[in-house]
Amino acid sequence: MADMPGDFWSGWIMVLTLVSAAVVGWLIWSVYFSPTPHEPEEELNEPVWDGDMREGNAPAPMWWFWLILGATVFSVGYLMLYPGLGSFSGMLNWSQDARVSNAYEHYQNQFQPVREEILATSLDDLQSSSGRMNTASRLFARECAACHGRDASGQLSMFPDLTDQEWQWGATAEQVEQTLRSGRRASMPAWSGVVEESQLEPLVDYVMAMDGSDSDQMPGRAVYMTYCVACHGAQGEGNVLFGAPSLRDDDWLYGGDRASVLASITAGRTGVMPAFNDRLNDAQIRLLVAWLTREQ
Amino acid sequence: MTGMSLHKKLEENTGLLIFGILVVSAIGGLVQILPVLNQESLETPTGSTQPYSAVALTGRDIYIREGCSVCHTQQVRPLIAEVERYGPYSRSGEFVYDRPFLWGSKRTGPDLHRLAGKYSDDWHRVHLLDPRSVIPESIMPAYPWLEHAPASGVGDIQKKMQVLQRLGHPYTQEQIEAAPQQLEGLTELDALVTYLQQLGSAVSREEAP
Ligand code: HEC
Ligand code: HEC
Ligand code: HEC
Repeated sequence: MADMPGDFWSGWIMVLTLVSAAVVGWLIWSVYFSPTPHEPEEELNEPVWDGDMREGNAPAPMWWFWLILGATVFSVGYLMLYPGLGSFSGMLNWSQDARVSNAYEHYQNQFQPVREEILATSLDDLQSSSGRMNTASRLFARECAACHGRDASGQLSMFPDLTDQEWQWGATAEQVEQTLRSGRRASMPAWSGVVEESQLEPLVDYVMAMDGSDSDQMPGRAVYMTYCVACHGAQGEGNVLFGAPSLRDDDWLYGGDRASVLASITAGRTGVMPAFNDRLNDAQIRLLVAWLTREQ
Repeated sequence: MTGMSLHKKLEENTGLLIFGILVVSAIGGLVQILPVLNQESLETPTGSTQPYSAVALTGRDIYIREGCSVCHTQQVRPLIAEVERYGPYSRSGEFVYDRPFLWGSKRTGPDLHRLAGKYSDDWHRVHLLDPRSVIPESIMPAYPWLEHAPASGVGDIQKKMQVLQRLGHPYTQEQIEAAPQQLEGLTELDALVTYLQQLGSAVSREEAP
């Protein structure tokens, strides 16, 4: 709703505006059209140069008059049509809020058919339409590239690669859609102080070597089975329910060198993927899901 | 009396001329400014607008100190393109606890008013310390010193809150007393990120535009 001043101030604005418009009208009218008093020139109390040059007191040229008259008529018309005179909202009932709401509605309606079409198309068909995939890739560049990088291959060992086949939170279309809509908050606890200092090195050795075969004999496995198995699984396969990544492969979210793995374990990791439910509409989310789960 | 004779009188009487000039130049202010100063709706917080917490207030001061508003506005205008890009347009009641407001007038970078929740804290940290590490073509300056300076070094937080309280911000005595403790151990970077993460969160996105 338009924001209008209260009664007193509304009257105040109206009276002052109208009175000053009237005074301006009277002023120009009388300056231009009242009869000039005919005083004999000698009686005019003004300097004279070169014998007969006087300052004079003629009104300004006529085009000035028309200009001022035009401006006055315009402002009166404006104040009748648009909000401006106190709480009078104008005969057109115009408001900035209504203007943007209408534009928004028009905009939404314009795209509605395309959105419905996208929602009714299967993911396979979306994936094989290069036009739709181009749209999705532009959408990704706008909304997601700041973190995941322009080509979605991840940045800084902090924002994951989305082009590999490793899915921390699940690879199905439903799981990816859930990731986009609600966001994800990973929570890998910090283990320094829990896992004994002397056991950290063997644990890191084990986690780095983990591939399911010989590594089972390594001394670090005992520690692993105590603290880590609940989330990362008996063979380090990970768990999409907690977003616990697989530790078996060579893909590391936070870096696979010794120092990074040690840091992950001692300090913990809490990656946050923001929620996009309020920022993107259903069709946009569907396009992104199709784009992310396409064969590459 | 005609305009001409009034003109003559004004021209010949300096005191009257000065008085006339003052009257005419006051009209604009009397019509435009005075009523607005008395308009209650401009002092009524919109949605869940709250006074800044001690940490966010400190972050805001860092934002001012570093001149972020030279390149960033905090004002989504009621235009379809902006509403579509940033979210609901800015309401006047969202700025009642902004002294001064930081609307800005130059957009070298994007508008920041609906920034809350767009990125994670981690992203803001790396972006502020080195914008090009996440946006390769960014021209935003890096602010590496924020990481090392303590948040408690940005002026006397209690004094600031007391002054704001006197100006009508509803801080409680407990909030003011707890303020220094809340800043303990935080860096300027932490405070700035806290401030950025609550920008524009008082109006829900579902109410768009
Ligand atoms: C509560 C569940 C949970 C437990 C218990 C847990 N983790 Fe994790 N771990 C996670 C999650 C979730 C992540 C992903 C963090 C992220 O994405 O920010 C993770 C990430 C990691 C990483 C980084 C992986 C990479 O790709 O960079 C390592 C290494 C790791 N955990 C090792 C361990 C070890 C060793 C233990 C036992 C001492 C352990 N975790 C216990 C949930 C857990
Ligand atoms: C603020 C930075 C940020 C933005 C913006 C962002 N993401 Fe993420 N995203 C992350 C982080 C961090 C993770 C990893 C979360 C974790 O550690 O579990 C992630 C995880 C994901 C995952 C899960 C990956 C997996 O292995 O399961 C998907 C899918 C994803 N993002 C897609 C997107 C899409 C699509 C967009 C744009 C609409 C986007 N992200 C925008 C930071 C971001
Ligand atoms: C020289 C101009 C300039 C200054 C000063 C500046 N920025 Fe930026 N900022 C930019 C540009 C350009 C971008 C877009 C590229 C990018 O994201 O790095 C940007 C982007 C951002 C973004 C991401 C916005 C979004 O929606 O993607 C944030 C947050 C931000 N700046 C915060 C700040 C803060 C906080 C400060 C003050 C400490 C600051 N900026 C100072 C130019 C500037």
